[in-house]
Amino acid sequence: MGSAQLDNANPTILNASDLPSHRRRRQGRDTSSKEHGVKEVLMAKPSYSLDPFYLSDFSDTDSDDSTIEPIDEQEIYDLIAPISDPEHPLSLESLGVVKLQDVHLISPSDLTNTVALSRVLVELTPTVTHCSLATVIGLGVRVRLEQALPPSYRVEVKIKKDTHAQAEEVNKQLADKERVAAALENANLMGILRKMMEPCLA
Amino acid sequence: MDPPALLPSTITRIVTLAEFKPIASSRAWVSIPNPNGLPLIATATSDKTVRVYSLKNFTLHSTLEGGHSRSVRSVAWKPAVKNDGVLSLATGSFDATMGIWRRREALGERGGVLNTDFEGVGQDGDLEVEVLADGEVKEPLQLRNAKDDVESDSEEDWEFAIVLEGHDSELKNVAYSPSGQWLASCSRDKSIWIWEEVGEEGEDEFETIAVLQEHTADVKCVCWRKDDGNGEVLASASYDDTIRLWKEVDGEGEWGCFAVLEGHEGTVWCLDWEPEVSLKMFHDAETELAEAPRIPRLMSCSADSTIRVWTLAPAAPAPNKPSYFNPTIPSTMRAPPADEKWECTATLPKAHDLPIYSVSWSKKTGRVVSTGGDGKIAVYEERTKGRTKVGGEVEREWVVLAVLQGGHGAYEINHATWCTRFDSGKTKDDEEIVVTTGDDGVVRAWALEEENVVAAVRETVPENSTIEEKVDGVMRGLSL
Repeated sequence: MGSAQLDNANPTILNASDLPSHRRRRQGRDTSSKEHGVKEVLMAKPSYSLDPFYLSDFSDTDSDDSTIEPIDEQEIYDLIAPISDPEHPLSLESLGVVKLQDVHLISPSDLTNTVALSRVLVELTPTVTHCSLATVIGLGVRVRLEQALPPSYRVEVKIKKDTHAQAEEVNKQLADKERVAAALENANLMGILRKMMEPCLA
Repeated sequence: MDPPALLPSTITRIVTLAEFKPIASSRAWVSIPNPNGLPLIATATSDKTVRVYSLKNFTLHSTLEGGHSRSVRSVAWKPAVKNDGVLSLATGSFDATMGIWRRREALGERGGVLNTDFEGVGQDGDLEVEVLADGEVKEPLQLRNAKDDVESDSEEDWEFAIVLEGHDSELKNVAYSPSGQWLASCSRDKSIWIWEEVGEEGEDEFETIAVLQEHTADVKCVCWRKDDGNGEVLASASYDDTIRLWKEVDGEGEWGCFAVLEGHEGTVWCLDWEPEVSLKMFHDAETELAEAPRIPRLMSCSADSTIRVWTLAPAAPAPNKPSYFNPTIPSTMRAPPADEKWECTATLPKAHDLPIYSVSWSKKTGRVVSTGGDGKIAVYEERTKGRTKVGGEVEREWVVLAVLQGGHGAYEINHATWCTRFDSGKTKDDEEIVVTTGDDGVVRAWALEEENVVAAVRETVPENSTIEEKVDGVMRGLSL
């Protein structure tokens, strides 16, 4: 995939020490049902099961579920930062495609209301303005978040303003649930996504 | 401050009635009630099947499986021209094909879902059923007994009669024309195909009548308008943010686009034509001079979170004028159809803040129900405001009757439809329920409860609050 001619043969790679780093904060949690679910889906089940809504058992098996600890921007960032670029064996974080300050979260005021929606907006910065893989990267980010976050989270993934020539087209595609659902039934695309998600399972 | 007005008013509540069992394990897309008066509703799901549920007891009646290799995105019942005891469904799938399915329906068996209420009409012979022009069945419908009474339901499964290929990519929607003559399918490949069943009933021969390719992106929805003397008209909605109207232009099978409806600022997801009940309702109110029946209006909902109403503009532009909508050089291959100009004449009050995926205009009451990504279910009604000047046109306005939040918990709702009520809780003929279909795989039935109250409702509601707060506020104020 894309190995013959890279869109960006020489991307800027960020130093690991410059990156936001309290990823280990909820290590205990990360081995719980969520991670297990993602792994199961990516490795074993038929392709349609990567449909974010297929995997909807968010039974909170956290040890400390007596207190509701709200999910924050950092936690959302940590879910998508390790996703690897489809073109380079590098994480979206190290390529600067996802940035903590570009993860936006609006939570409902009343966290006990189970049908109140949270809104997540992630803005991506493609490595080059004509990156043909922006849609695939965006799809990976959306799918990852829809799987890992509870169903009350509405995820929006956009290309950051002025960083991509076809930003509007890419944004519209990524916002279309029917297109996303159909893409997840495409075996080729699923192969690419599976590879991109591998670091998330480590 | 003025004293609160003591007005008699009706509060409408959307109350949960039932969940259809068993539920699907993955996203359910759409549920379509049988148009021929049978108590059945067909649900298309991403598990590649269609579930047909009974509206009498909200349980599974039968399943269509094995015909598609990807999600079934849409499903359409073939309108029954006469009752021959055969159910027929068309399915549209992400696998780029359309399927035609048939099932011989047996009656008179215990456990059969259909038999219970169709007593008293004939024996087991053929029964011709008159189907009125709007698709409603005039007489109580009785299905003919199948040849072999011993056969159980499970043995009489849906037969995957034929697969129709032609589209290049995912089918988004399929729809039979009200007369049953045509079948339309639309796809991500930007095209709409119109099919006609040729030959004898059951021979399963279909011909492609037209391939319409003027949309510039995915076609999300196709919706037929009943023949009112001008032929059956097809409306289509697209990812290109426009709606197009199509018809047979020359009586010889040539189809063309005769109107482009522009205004939405996002993908148009769903369409519905104005039902006769609404046409008549306002026909009467609109004085004697409205002799000719009006052209039905079209309703559309969009990713821009609006629902719009479109009306044919009174005067058509001169035929030779270059069309505003189509500035390109006209094709020399065919005469362009006479263009119609359609205008957005109303926008329904805002009840949603995420994409609206579905809108349904009730054939019985003229009310509208909508739903979408925010998981809300909203019901609207069009009311007469009165005349602004003597002899002037009667003005109308749309009001929100009720909004329910979290209809499927935290999940998105993909579809909402009005549906005749058949269960034992039914209190009057023609009673309707709302059926919603969600990302949680669940199909739910809802009833509308109305309560007449004389109360100073306005006092309890801040003037600048949103509709939702108003409705919530009213509900809180009245809960006993």
